[in-house]
Amino acid sequence: MPSKPKVPGLIKGLGVTMSTMFRTLKDGANTVQYPHEKETPPTRARGVIALHEDNCTACMLCSRSCPDWCIYIEGHKQLAPPRRAGGKPRQVNHLDRFDIDYALCMYCGICVDVCPFDALFWSPEYEYSEPRIADLLHDKTKLGEWMETVPEAPELEVGAQKK
Amino acid sequence: MGLVDRGRMPAPLTKLFNMGRSYSMWVYQWGLACCAIEMGAAFGSPRYDVMRLGVIPLPASPRQADLVVVSGTVTDKMAPAVKRLYEQMPEPKYVISMGSCANCGGPYWDSYSVTKGVDQIIPVDVYVPGCPPRPEALLEGIVLLQQRIKNEDMAAKWRNEEFTTLQKTAALEKAKSQPAPEPIVVGGGPIE
Repeated sequence: MPSKPKVPGLIKGLGVTMSTMFRTLKDGANTVQYPHEKETPPTRARGVIALHEDNCTACMLCSRSCPDWCIYIEGHKQLAPPRRAGGKPRQVNHLDRFDIDYALCMYCGICVDVCPFDALFWSPEYEYSEPRIADLLHDKTKLGEWMETVPEAPELEVGAQKK
Repeated sequence: MGLVDRGRMPAPLTKLFNMGRSYSMWVYQWGLACCAIEMGAAFGSPRYDVMRLGVIPLPASPRQADLVVVSGTVTDKMAPAVKRLYEQMPEPKYVISMGSCANCGGPYWDSYSVTKGVDQIIPVDVYVPGCPPRPEALLEGIVLLQQRIKNEDMAAKWRNEEFTTLQKTAALEKAKSQPAPEPIVVGGGPIE
């Protein structure tokens, strides 16, 4: 039985190559030229965790639930002035140290989910490689700086209760 | 000819060599675990093409590579192989540790069989955090390494010292060449 002729198959294949080449020449390549153009990651992307220090009460829930134990928290109790005149000074937890070790972090988000006071937020920033591993331990101020990159919360649904 | 390791290269030539070295790195991909997928996306896919940065991901053996990207968990069983392949690379060589597992053991920090960080075995130049890092994060790590290489003092590297920049070496030489300032004597006159 004669074998199928191979030449039309070759021409069809070359046709596909040529049409892809012309499409690339016309529309441009698919490449994102990294240092000069960067594609924005989705808003839900897990790049880095930011800390809103005012909301944090040093309850240690995030540190205890982190599977990697990469959050280091130190706090102490102190007396805050009374809220109304003539009241008693109240005891509050003051946050001394809140470090996240991004060398250990596995970006699972358990700390963000578990925080009862909404003090931790995801941010899609991913450009923070360091030549020294000690610099990957981000302290309280650095985590506060990441707050500026946190995207806006999504709109609540129609009919949702707003406080 | 020994000009580089004796530090006798004129400055423009050093800059040229540094630029040449940083834009023509052949990367030995040491993909061990999940980070290898993201490394493959950075190195092989057309979207995050790494060849445009001059980094060619195709050396046939470690003896032809200048950069190694360790991506993934380094287990204790694999550690001697990592060390041996690192030693087979010719100088000057650079290491990028990609992902939490290679940085410091990551989620398996407590395991009996994981090496907590590849920097326990080989010296690392850039740590890329992430689990796994996005391909652009690895590209940013490579760009950071390229910037460090462009400023690097190769004579110091050949003498096995820590990473120094050309600017720092020049500043040190200048400080050494100036005579030490006269100590200020308080109280006037020598001690009797």
